Amino acid sequence: MIDDQDIIIVDEPELTATERLYLPQIIDGMRTTLRHMFKKTITLQYPEQKREQRIENYRGVHRLNRDEEGRVACVACFMCQTACPAHCIHIVGTESPWDDREKYPLQFDIDELRCIYCGMCEEACPVDAIELTPEYDLVGRTRDEMILDKEKLLEVFDRTVALKPRKNPKISGYAGTGDRDGCQSAGGGQ
Amino acid sequence: MVELLKDQFWFSALMTVGIVVALLTAQAYSIYFERKISAWIQDRIGPNRVGPLGLLQPLADGGKFLLKEDIIPANVDKPLFLLAPMIAFGVAMIGFAVLPWGGNVDLDADGAVDVAAQVADPGIGLLYILGIGSLSVYGVVLGGWANNNKYAFFAAMRSTAQMLSYEIPMGMAIVVVVITAGTLRLEDIVLSQIGDGHVWNIVLHPFAFFILLVTLFAETNRTPFDLAEAEQELVGGYHTEYGALKFGMFFLGEYAHMITGSGFIVVLFLGGWHLPGVPGLQPGDVSVGAMLLKITVMAGKIAAFMFLFMWVRWTLPRFRFDQLMRLSWQGLLPISMALAGYATVLVYLGKSTSIPWALGGNIVLLALTLVISQLRQTPVTGRQTNMPAISLTSPAKAR
Amino acid sequence: MNTEWSFMVYATFALGAAAVYFLLPHTGRSTKTAGHVLGVAALAATMVLCASKFLGTEGANIFFYLSAVVAVGSAVKVITHEKPVYSALYFVLTVLAITPLLILQEAEFLAVALVIIYAGAILVTYVFVIMLSQQGGQPMHDRQSREPFLAVFGGFVTMAAIAGQMAALPEEKGIVGDFAVAAATTAINDRGVDNTSLVGTAMMTEYVVAFEVAGVLLLIAMVGAIAMSKKRVPAETALTPMPVPGKVGREVEPF
Repeated sequence: MIDDQDIIIVDEPELTATERLYLPQIIDGMRTTLRHMFKKTITLQYPEQKREQRIENYRGVHRLNRDEEGRVACVACFMCQTACPAHCIHIVGTESPWDDREKYPLQFDIDELRCIYCGMCEEACPVDAIELTPEYDLVGRTRDEMILDKEKLLEVFDRTVALKPRKNPKISGYAGTGDRDGCQSAGGGQ
Repeated sequence: MVELLKDQFWFSALMTVGIVVALLTAQAYSIYFERKISAWIQDRIGPNRVGPLGLLQPLADGGKFLLKEDIIPANVDKPLFLLAPMIAFGVAMIGFAVLPWGGNVDLDADGAVDVAAQVADPGIGLLYILGIGSLSVYGVVLGGWANNNKYAFFAAMRSTAQMLSYEIPMGMAIVVVVITAGTLRLEDIVLSQIGDGHVWNIVLHPFAFFILLVTLFAETNRTPFDLAEAEQELVGGYHTEYGALKFGMFFLGEYAHMITGSGFIVVLFLGGWHLPGVPGLQPGDVSVGAMLLKITVMAGKIAAFMFLFMWVRWTLPRFRFDQLMRLSWQGLLPISMALAGYATVLVYLGKSTSIPWALGGNIVLLALTLVISQLRQTPVTGRQTNMPAISLTSPAKAR
Repeated sequence: MNTEWSFMVYATFALGAAAVYFLLPHTGRSTKTAGHVLGVAALAATMVLCASKFLGTEGANIFFYLSAVVAVGSAVKVITHEKPVYSALYFVLTVLAITPLLILQEAEFLAVALVIIYAGAILVTYVFVIMLSQQGGQPMHDRQSREPFLAVFGGFVTMAAIAGQMAALPEEKGIVGDFAVAAATTAINDRGVDNTSLVGTAMMTEYVVAFEVAGVLLLIAMVGAIAMSKKRVPAETALTPMPVPGKVGREVEPF
């Protein structure tokens, strides 16, 4: 129920005689549209022509970054999965085979159909392992195809790394993010 | 072959086939041009993928309409549901039977007129078009009612009221032409605008021409009078529940209706196939070549009006319903009645083809309308009268 | 000969009456099939009668039979159909089927005027009103006809009396078909002077008083309708002005 106090009553404008005929306004509008008919179109012929890509801040398909040694940079901390408002990230973490960190993702699935491309995962990631790429033309024939697993996400990285280099590639030691010593010290610190 | 065609019956049969084929093509391509023009007005390109310049787009659309699943929703009144698109399409198609396309024709060049390039030339051709036009409301009403959908029903209600209201000023505007020409036969109306001392009716009665144009917009449910299919309020209006070819028939029917309306107004006010001073387009030119030229001119004029229809559609916003009704009953109807009365006076004075008399009267009437509308000052926004007025200064006015 | 004709006409009308009686909505067992069979029989009998009487004359046009059958059939449907919307639509069909008959009589103006005024305006409002009023299920009075026997009897006796008398007319005076011939021959089909202009001339000269009186009658009816339907609101119950709202909403400048 709308309160009477909230009703705004707007005085109607007084129309002049010519305005009552509607005609001058109509002719004015039609002149405008006619002028636009001969204007240059701004359409891009999409598959042939493409817009200049915004690299830095475009939020397209995700990628999982590799570190310098070509391993997946993710430490399976579940921060992105927690931050995701669409619940489209599913991580199965396990003990890392490498010495520099404790965990790594055994499985890392992103449902690109559920994703709303908000970039929260990118914000949340402590090691900048997940990033959104400028790639926007992701297609698939089935829903399953559109769930990108770890391998596919790494492939996206390989495809796009030339275009958009890793933001903070110099991360070494993964201190504080779960490398074996750091983890213990962090735990001890608490 | 020529001997057979010299019989008006067989010539009419040939013309029927030709017109139906041309018309179906024209409807399909009207949709193409509608999309193109809307694109151009909005600084876009429009359909350009199917075929060169997108010219095969209508074929693709038609194929899509044919191949889509033909859904009949549950709880519809099935016979009427099926009947409505047929009425809408069929009624729009048969109006063409009486349009004069190319005057008289001498097929074998022996100096004697053989046939008239017109499917049928009844003495009541003009009334025939009016009658057919008045039937077209059934397609909308039945479509809206049969599919058991409230939005569609609202559309049917609006459309009925609108068509009934606008038929009256339309008839009055036509009466002006009938009185001036003194006949109901469309070919004779064309001929009455040709020759020494005769000009196109638009010169004599521009006001009536304009009223007829406005009412045609309303009768064909085009913007700014497309309340029956107002997407924002009524989903799709009366064809909300229709899909596949049944929707296609409604769609094509609308364009057929537009083309008939354009042909009608061209015949009544713009001299049909005639262009003043151009050889080959005079009543005396009866060769086959002249006929083809006349048909081309007529089609060109119709195409110009189709362009106007589309241009207006992509320019103007929609009327609100009370504005629509007020425009018809308080605006167009009195003006058109005054015009019809003035036309009879002109005939009585024997000045029905005199430009100063007819045009002067029109101008006086326009001035009178302005004065009266200024004096009456009825609200145009339809605000509830029990609300007190508050003077508010909007930023636009304050500036 | 003429008396026999009359009896044959009466017999077909009895057949038609029975058909309509069976077709009218009843409670209980449906008699629709019987009604349809009888109706087709009655129509066929009428056609045979007409054909044997008028074969070779102008009235025996194939269009006459086609549109007459459609007109009669849909007219029966108007009164026997259970759904009012369909009744109204069959009425439209009847009107449309009558127009070819009028055109066969060279009365094009009447034909088209019938379409414009009846089918295009009056019946649209009928359909409209019925659609608005029939939102629920079908009421009893649509599913069961009141006094079907008396209604059918009365209607068909009247019709049979008229038709029988017409059939009993002497041959040379002719009936429907010959009227058509007469009309066709008297109509002057030169360009410019057709039946429409003749109707117009007659209306504006010979019958101008009747024409004007009819116009005034319609005007009075219209004024009366407006006067009756206009709602009179007593002054105190008229819309009271709304309380003046506070400055504007929550002290916020609009826009």
